[in-house]
Amino acid sequence: MEFRFDNTQDYVHVVGEFTFTDHAAFKLMIDRLFEANSSSVTMDIGQLQFIDSAGLGMLLLARDAAAKAGRKLVLRAPTGQVKRMFGLTKFDTLFTVED
Amino acid sequence: MFGLGRRKIAEEPVVEPVVVASTAANEVEPQHIALLQRWMALADMQQRVISTLMSEITHTSAFIETEADALSSRFQRLALSAEQQTDRVQSLTKLAVGIEVDGETVPIDRIAGLLEGTLSDVVQKILLLSKDSMSMVYALNELNVNVGRVDQCMAQLNSINKTTNMLALNARIEAERAGAAGAAFRVVAQEVRELSKATASLSGSMQSELDSVADGIASGHATLQRVATIDMSENILAKDRLEVLLAALVRRSESLNETVSDAVREAGSISTDVESMVTGIQFQDRTKQRLEHVVDTLKVIDQALEETKASTAADVPELAGDIKPDTEWVKRLLDRFTLSDMRARFVAQLLDGQPSDVVPYEQTNSIVPSSSGSAELF
Repeated sequence: MEFRFDNTQDYVHVVGEFTFTDHAAFKLMIDRLFEANSSSVTMDIGQLQFIDSAGLGMLLLARDAAAKAGRKLVLRAPTGQVKRMFGLTKFDTLFTVED
Repeated sequence: MFGLGRRKIAEEPVVEPVVVASTAANEVEPQHIALLQRWMALADMQQRVISTLMSEITHTSAFIETEADALSSRFQRLALSAEQQTDRVQSLTKLAVGIEVDGETVPIDRIAGLLEGTLSDVVQKILLLSKDSMSMVYALNELNVNVGRVDQCMAQLNSINKTTNMLALNARIEAERAGAAGAAFRVVAQEVRELSKATASLSGSMQSELDSVADGIASGHATLQRVATIDMSENILAKDRLEVLLAALVRRSESLNETVSDAVREAGSISTDVESMVTGIQFQDRTKQRLEHVVDTLKVIDQALEETKASTAADVPELAGDIKPDTEWVKRLLDRFTLSDMRARFVAQLLDGQPSDVVPYEQTNSIVPSSSGSAELF
């Protein structure tokens, strides 16, 4: 997994595949995301091709962290396998998912 | 024609005048005798034909009765069979509706619902497991950092202890040089050295405890890595596939239901049809009666012919004696027959004067063109 922040620092693009081995990088990304002053932060996953169950678990942890930090976490543009996984796990009831 | 040949009535006109007065009351002219003989022969042949017809009709009537009875019982067996089929088909509806488990019929769509619920539950538990595993991974990472810091503290402690020991040693050397004046100092220095030793020993214990903790964390980390890297995404996707299968199962169950309903309706209509067929077959009763009337009528005609023959022969003595059969028109009649066994019977009875059962009544039709037949008959 790779990530690229926009200039605004509250919008990050996540690219590649999101699996267990990305746990350290993910924590760094989330910490930086919540440092931004915005009340709403967005993860653009349009170019994320694959997510495994560890990845799903990490997203859920991020959701808890967002709540604790008083931020709204938005997931944008899931596609392919990622979109299918979101459907099966009813992620739209847990997150704000945008197209 | 039949042997009288002297006079052909149609061709030659009457030459002699008819003298009625000079003949007896019961005397008949020769040409009239010939005519009467023809009529007698015709009557005789007609009687033979009537007799043959009567036996033919009686046999046919009996045949119809037997066949109708046989058909009737076949149809009744058919009706019974149709009923049994209906029962079987109806038991199929139960299979179509659901699956029997522990004496209870569980409908297919409820099964689908149950499975969907169970799978959703499993997926939710997988998610929770994944989240908690990752949470532990992060927690253990933090612990590792803490352990690292404590390790640094220990190192500093050991370093300080070493320095303390060195100082105590130096203090003892100075105390020796000072002689008696340094006696108190020597004691203090010794105490410090003892303290230092004790500290070193304690530090050693702490270090080994810390090492155990670090080992425990490392082991936990390895286990957690195994747990967290089990990719459950395939299992989650399996739910998707199962849902597709279940939907197909429900559709199949519905279409089975439809087919079974059609079958039950069809079976019902078969039963109705068979019942009307059996009723229809009862026609043979009326047919029998009608044929009996026909036979009776023929009998009457036969009797009339017999009486007329008898009274004619009584009035005209020339007519007594054997009547030669008129076979010409009979042959024309027989030519019209298509059933070979029937023609054979008629030939035997009409031409050869044989009894009615000489040629057996065939059960099946054998239609033969009228020009065939054994050479000896014609």
